[in-house]
Amino acid sequence: MAADKSTLSKESTSLSLDTWAVVIALLLALAVRLNVLRNLPW
Amino acid sequence: MATSATLTQTKSGNPILDSLSVVPGIILLAVIGYTAKVLEHSVNAYAKSHHWVFPNIEYVLWAILIGLLISNTLTIPKFLQPGIATYEFWLKLGIVLLGARFVLADVLKLGGISLALVVIEITLSLALMTLLGRLFKLKPKLISLLAIGSAVCGVSAIIAAKGAIDADDEDSSFAIAAILALGALALFTFPAIAHGLHMNDTSYGLWAGLGVDNTAEATAAGALYSDAAGKVAVLAKTARNAMIGFVVLAYAIYWSSRGQAETVSNKALFLWKKFPKFILGFLLISLLVSFNAFNKAQITSLGNLSKWAFLLTFAGVGLRTNFREMSKQGLRPFIVGALGEILIACLTLGLVVGANRIWGL
Repeated sequence: MAADKSTLSKESTSLSLDTWAVVIALLLALAVRLNVLRNLPW
Repeated sequence: MATSATLTQTKSGNPILDSLSVVPGIILLAVIGYTAKVLEHSVNAYAKSHHWVFPNIEYVLWAILIGLLISNTLTIPKFLQPGIATYEFWLKLGIVLLGARFVLADVLKLGGISLALVVIEITLSLALMTLLGRLFKLKPKLISLLAIGSAVCGVSAIIAAKGAIDADDEDSSFAIAAILALGALALFTFPAIAHGLHMNDTSYGLWAGLGVDNTAEATAAGALYSDAAGKVAVLAKTARNAMIGFVVLAYAIYWSSRGQAETVSNKALFLWKKFPKFILGFLLISLLVSFNAFNKAQITSLGNLSKWAFLLTFAGVGLRTNFREMSKQGLRPFIVGALGEILIACLTLGLVVGANRIWGL
């Protein structure tokens, strides 16, 4: 339960998590657009 | 989360050490994810070469099963926990990049249908959970948290509401555990029911997005059915997530009118703060694709990056699901949650079937 408190106190950091996800996704998209990253496999 | 018990973050105060502390856990997520991909191919190929009748188990299920096996049989060392907790980041990164696989017209059409269904789903879910909570004599704020969690977006909504309605940690932990346990069950029941009903990818994706509460589980439940269903599930769930601010604001106003939570002075700012910003990233990437900012090969690359990010998420979903921890959280909130979720799953299934008849999904 104590650990849950740490999860619950993460509300403020979850906003920055969103921002980080968007920033990194845009950087990856830019790298793909500039062909720095290309033909990425799956 | 029960499981959040396994997700404690250890902060040393040194930013470099804190950044490095996530590396071992991320490596574990990657190893589980890659093993799942290898197993998908090798098991299927082995079964085929030996003429076995063996179900085609996809990487999504392998990743979740390996994670579940580890978290429920071993004690995960503390040094791995910060990295495992990053599954939420990979989920959001995956969703933003998934925008590359939708042109804006699709987002507007499917997103519009999703939003219409989301409004009905939220109204019905809030009413149903409130009724059940009162019947089972749960504490009023626990009822609010369960209602918000099941109506909107699971754990994030409960965490967002917790501060706004001044609920205590114990109630929030109960609500989170119930939502997560039910999400884990939905992973296995939703695809099975949909296969039984022969649902098409779009209908099933909408149902998973509307009926499964937590974003990670909704994404996994969709992907377990098919790649196309996974895409639609993410879109429907994202439309649901977009409503988080409105629902939490309504509850905040209700509880502050009773003198049991702080008054919300600036409602617009409150809505903006609660709005999940990754949705804007998803829309931006989709907009760029719609205006031909990327060629076909680049769109494929972005789609593949999204799949890799989701693969780490699915490994995390399994790893953070610990049934022993969940069982310690108490039975009554779980029963209320389970009853509510079953009814919500039936209602959302009815909504999707209805939408299919009207719009021909």
